[in-house]
Amino acid sequence: MVSVAIINLTKTYGTTAAIKDLNLEIKDGEFFIFLGPSGCGKTTTLLCIAGLLKPDKGEVWLGNELVTSSERDVYVTPQKREVAMMFQDYAIYPHMTVFNNIAFPLEVRGEDKSEIVKRVTATANLLGLSQLLDRKPRQLSGGQRQRVALGRAIVRKPKVFLLDEPLANLDAKLRVKTRTDLKKLQRELGVTTVYVTHDQVEAMTMADRIMVQRDGVTEQIGTPEELYNHPANLFVAGFIGSPEMNFTDCTLIKEGARLWLDAREFKTPVPTQVAPKLESYVGEDLIMGIRPEDLYERKSVKGSTQKNALRMTVDIIEPVGPYLLLHLRKGRCSLVARVKHTTARVGQEVDIEMDPSKMHIFDKKTAKAII
Amino acid sequence: MRFPKPRRVTLYILLVFFAFLFLLPLWTCITTSFKPVHDVIYTTPVELPLSPTAEPLITALNIMQRPLLNSFTFTISAMILSCLLGSINGYILTKIRFRGSDTVFLFFSIGIFIPYQAVLVPLVLTMSKLGLFNHIEGLILTHTAYGIPITTLLFRNFYGVIPNSLIMAAKTDGAGTWTIYRRIVLPLSLLPFVVAAVFQFTSIWNDFLFGVALARGSEAQPASVALANLRGTTEFQWNVQMAGTLWYALPVLVIFFVLGKYLMRGYMAGAVKG
Repeated sequence: MVSVAIINLTKTYGTTAAIKDLNLEIKDGEFFIFLGPSGCGKTTTLLCIAGLLKPDKGEVWLGNELVTSSERDVYVTPQKREVAMMFQDYAIYPHMTVFNNIAFPLEVRGEDKSEIVKRVTATANLLGLSQLLDRKPRQLSGGQRQRVALGRAIVRKPKVFLLDEPLANLDAKLRVKTRTDLKKLQRELGVTTVYVTHDQVEAMTMADRIMVQRDGVTEQIGTPEELYNHPANLFVAGFIGSPEMNFTDCTLIKEGARLWLDAREFKTPVPTQVAPKLESYVGEDLIMGIRPEDLYERKSVKGSTQKNALRMTVDIIEPVGPYLLLHLRKGRCSLVARVKHTTARVGQEVDIEMDPSKMHIFDKKTAKAII
Repeated sequence: MRFPKPRRVTLYILLVFFAFLFLLPLWTCITTSFKPVHDVIYTTPVELPLSPTAEPLITALNIMQRPLLNSFTFTISAMILSCLLGSINGYILTKIRFRGSDTVFLFFSIGIFIPYQAVLVPLVLTMSKLGLFNHIEGLILTHTAYGIPITTLLFRNFYGVIPNSLIMAAKTDGAGTWTIYRRIVLPLSLLPFVVAAVFQFTSIWNDFLFGVALARGSEAQPASVALANLRGTTEFQWNVQMAGTLWYALPVLVIFFVLGKYLMRGYMAGAVKG
């Protein structure tokens, strides 16, 4: 078990940079996830760690060993790195039985026969493949193939696991189950794991820490809670969480001593504890973000619109089992609210309130989070 | 009972007619091989022999025995060598890749289009310098070299379909370039091997020009050249010639009967996935 360090990693294909100056430290035993839309450089980074791809610039360290450095002309071949990789299409050898597939990494390393049989059997038991050892890959289901690929990766006890979208080809139900199994297995083995996915739910549920990547650039690194509660910029805020965070353009104005966010359709006071951070932005265009679960429907009290509440029209109601999604509209402003129950009907007006402490504010020019 | 549509019927009639047309030479070859000289003169080639005899076949075999053995030796050797080398080339060009590998492949492709006649003189000179003129080894070397471009192209196209992830997985599993070829790529290559082998066998077996240039009249003379010599100088022994042709055509016919279905599949595989 080792840590993985990446320093100033850059890889360019033709004229487009797949990774730009990536710096990253993955801790020993950590479950680390690269998250981002497809083509953002996640897999390229993974291949550079495995040694299957030579970067144009930068270094890769596995523990204390420098394995890739274009500057110092160091390159340890993938065969000599103690890393195991699992591919999205599983890449199990079609002409070999399950046993031979799992035994392959041990055989090429010259382990002796009895040791190979012992370890393959143990791995097959762990993954529930004991009954399938004589089968060929084409006789297996998708889930079974996925486990064979996993078995081949863990049988040689590598120091680092690299997993490239390992659940992408499974059906939805199996994916949820395998997610849990995989996380449990990783805890048991304690192997440093780097996992690539474009599915934010997968990332949020499994990772110790997540790196969000876009166009080869790191947007944010942090624990799932940090990314969810304190997104560093608009991209992360929008990418993580389902349904997506609500965004509204607004202007910061000062009335007397108080700061207000003016979104034309409504105006909301800036909580006093964050006001100092916003002082310098008075008069500037900002983007306010609020997650659907931080919006509430206020039970209508007799009389006119409540203070801080926004009266909006219900466009659509989506029941999602444990909660309902209200799609609301007022003028050019539309919001999604997640509520437990509602008496409102489509077309009716409801009063919506928000928790000001859960508000996110982004600078419109830089897209960076201010609070 | 439903009758097939008239268009279908027309199609089948046409197909049967053309099949008949294409099989006619083979038919006359077989009938004539069993005819004594008298029958050759008094019957048309299409007719059955009046008094069938195996004598022309035996005579032809006696003359063709050594050349047929020669042809088998160099055809099978050159076939195996060119297929193996083509397979290794295809693997390196698709899965290992290196700076300039596309240029190297371009040169291989050019090799396919060099006509035999263009290299004849330098070839004969080179072979006599190497001391391989009138030797089986010379024919093996020439046919292997001439086969490499086409087998390389064939294997390269096939290996393009093998997913790269398979190779990458084998690399991280600890297998080196040669182990990956032997343990992963080679076992997956049955189909292209059959296609390349049949192709190489037929084209080397059928070659006349290299044979006549490099080994005419010698101990190493190939069957194609011996067959041409059967014609004789003073009289035409049609029945012996036809019998010789039959012996000469037999191996190729057998191969196509046995491996035909693989061949079709191989061509298809190449066609669907460019």
